[in-house]
Amino acid sequence: MKLMKTAAIVAAAATVLVLSACGTTQTGSSAGSTSDHLTIGVSFDLVNDIRNAELASLKAAAAKQGDKIVFVSADQDAQKQASQIQDLIQTKKVDAIVAIAVNNDQIASSIALANSSKVPFIAIDRAVSGNGKVTFQVTGDPVADGKVAAKEVLDAGGNPVIIQLVGALTDQNAVGRRDGFTAGIEAGGQKVSAQVPTDWDPTKALDGTANALQSNPKVNTIFIPSDYLLPSVQSALKAAGRLKPVGDPGHVFIVTIDGDPNGCKAIKDGLMDADVVTPVGTFGEQAIAAAHTANAGKAVTPATSQVAGFPLNQANLSTTESTVWGCTK
Amino acid sequence: MSAKTSVIALAGRVRRFLAAFPLIPVGVLLIVLFSIIQPNFFSAANLVNVLTQASVLLIAATGMTFVILTAGIDLSVGAMMFLASAFVAATLEGGLWPVLVILLVPLLTVVLGAFNGTVVATTGVPAMLVTLATLQVFRGIGGHLTEQQSLVLPDSVRFLGLGDLAGIPRAVWVAAVVVFAGAYVLKRTRFGRHVQALGSNPSAAWNAGLPVRGLLITVYAIAGLSAGIASLVQVGRLGAVQPTLDVGFELTVITAVVLGGASLSGGYGSVAGTAVGALLLTTVENGLVLSGASPYVFDIFRGAVLLIAIVGSDLPRRLLRASRRKGGEAAITP
Repeated sequence: MKLMKTAAIVAAAATVLVLSACGTTQTGSSAGSTSDHLTIGVSFDLVNDIRNAELASLKAAAAKQGDKIVFVSADQDAQKQASQIQDLIQTKKVDAIVAIAVNNDQIASSIALANSSKVPFIAIDRAVSGNGKVTFQVTGDPVADGKVAAKEVLDAGGNPVIIQLVGALTDQNAVGRRDGFTAGIEAGGQKVSAQVPTDWDPTKALDGTANALQSNPKVNTIFIPSDYLLPSVQSALKAAGRLKPVGDPGHVFIVTIDGDPNGCKAIKDGLMDADVVTPVGTFGEQAIAAAHTANAGKAVTPATSQVAGFPLNQANLSTTESTVWGCTK
Repeated sequence: MSAKTSVIALAGRVRRFLAAFPLIPVGVLLIVLFSIIQPNFFSAANLVNVLTQASVLLIAATGMTFVILTAGIDLSVGAMMFLASAFVAATLEGGLWPVLVILLVPLLTVVLGAFNGTVVATTGVPAMLVTLATLQVFRGIGGHLTEQQSLVLPDSVRFLGLGDLAGIPRAVWVAAVVVFAGAYVLKRTRFGRHVQALGSNPSAAWNAGLPVRGLLITVYAIAGLSAGIASLVQVGRLGAVQPTLDVGFELTVITAVVLGGASLSGGYGSVAGTAVGALLLTTVENGLVLSGASPYVFDIFRGAVLLIAIVGSDLPRRLLRASRRKGGEAAITP
């Protein structure tokens, strides 16, 4: 009986460890390539709407080259991501790593492993730091995106009383978007009334927005650093009786970043004013091109690329929506 | 009775109250502090706000109290809530009636909870490992159902989280019913006494002929039921299901229960104490946003309050033990 119990404990622990280490693998591949067609290991921090769009852009670019994609998701666990990338390099023998880091500092050990294994390491979406050599990095420009969002607020005129939601403070995109928005607003002679920390948690965004509306009923503008938190803010406004359509005197001006399907729909429904769209299609094309350049033994120049977002708003909806990834899904 | 005797009796009652609810002084201090910084904090509207925001935690933590009383733990609660929310989105998309969806969710989570309990009760594998494994399974199934997308839900399934009854949000009513029902079951029923007996001394519970396996399965099923109701309130409030929903929420739930005075070794704890713990955690979040604190201050303040609350919660018990040693008080169950 005691033996059975011990065996059960070991089996359960092993199951958990295996599950933790493996995460989700979508497309399998047993070995690296021997020709121009590469096997590319893709490691994401998590899977959501924008990540699905980014993965689709990578797959589309890879398909043009005849490459294989081996995809894993770390479920926001930096340790899991390190294990997964190790597996991709040492077991799957991939020709290149394309990663969105869970944490831009903790990814350093994976970059070092890629460097020592002579596997090109390409970072997309989130800039990475550390001592290792990143072959190529293509990201959005969070500070510029924040400034574009601020411009949308300032262009609307009036006297904005602004709540600013903030993503996880360990995330460069979240900090950059916050700093860009704040700088843009202050450059326009206005100020942010309150910051609501969210850690990218929808529940914290809901409660924080409700609290901020409670403490300052004059709030008439909300900056959301990602469409991911839009449903939470809309629910908080609805509960407070303040979710009014654009043009209504009680409307609260909302501007977000990403351009995901929820953001696009909210603009089409007349419930949101503007969305700064991340051009995710560019990430895939540039990342796959860099993987081929590096595997041909050439240096990728420039080694970094920042792609600023563009605004989608009520005025340009009809002319711009076809270029927005969230509107075409 | 002399005035001196009355004062001593009153002091004894206060000590007993503080021993039962050691977080009350911490909560009062926080309320005073936040009220000074932001006068809007101490208002009826904000009280309702805090209660509404605490509702999901109150419900989930009520179920967890039963599990922790048996010296168990359920790490799958957050994932179970996510799976329940994903089930709502998937079944609605499949064309199921919203009313039926709402009725099926608690049934689903009771089954999931009972599964946890059955594995714990029959294999002897520690609950932490069992529920760590099911956490992964539940979150995986939920992710599969939603395809890891943000899905907006219609108002038809938001009944428990939207709107109010007699001026009080429905979420608060639901939480109140769950907390009072949980407290009643734990304090006033034979089942509740058996749960406490099992946690206090499992060997004695076996020897006394208590249905230990049945009790364990039932407490995990209760935790599942609470998670199901909590998820319905949560999707009602949020109006959406998102891939990171309730990631790590189990730790907040366990924190509320432990802050409320429950022992992770089992046998000691109460639903009322858990409710105070949950309200304290929510008050901190609410007060920090209202006071306009920098986001960088949040973690520092949260940690400091937790530390003070944990150290402070043991102080009245130590005072009580000290007064007993002096022989000035009748024996009181801690």
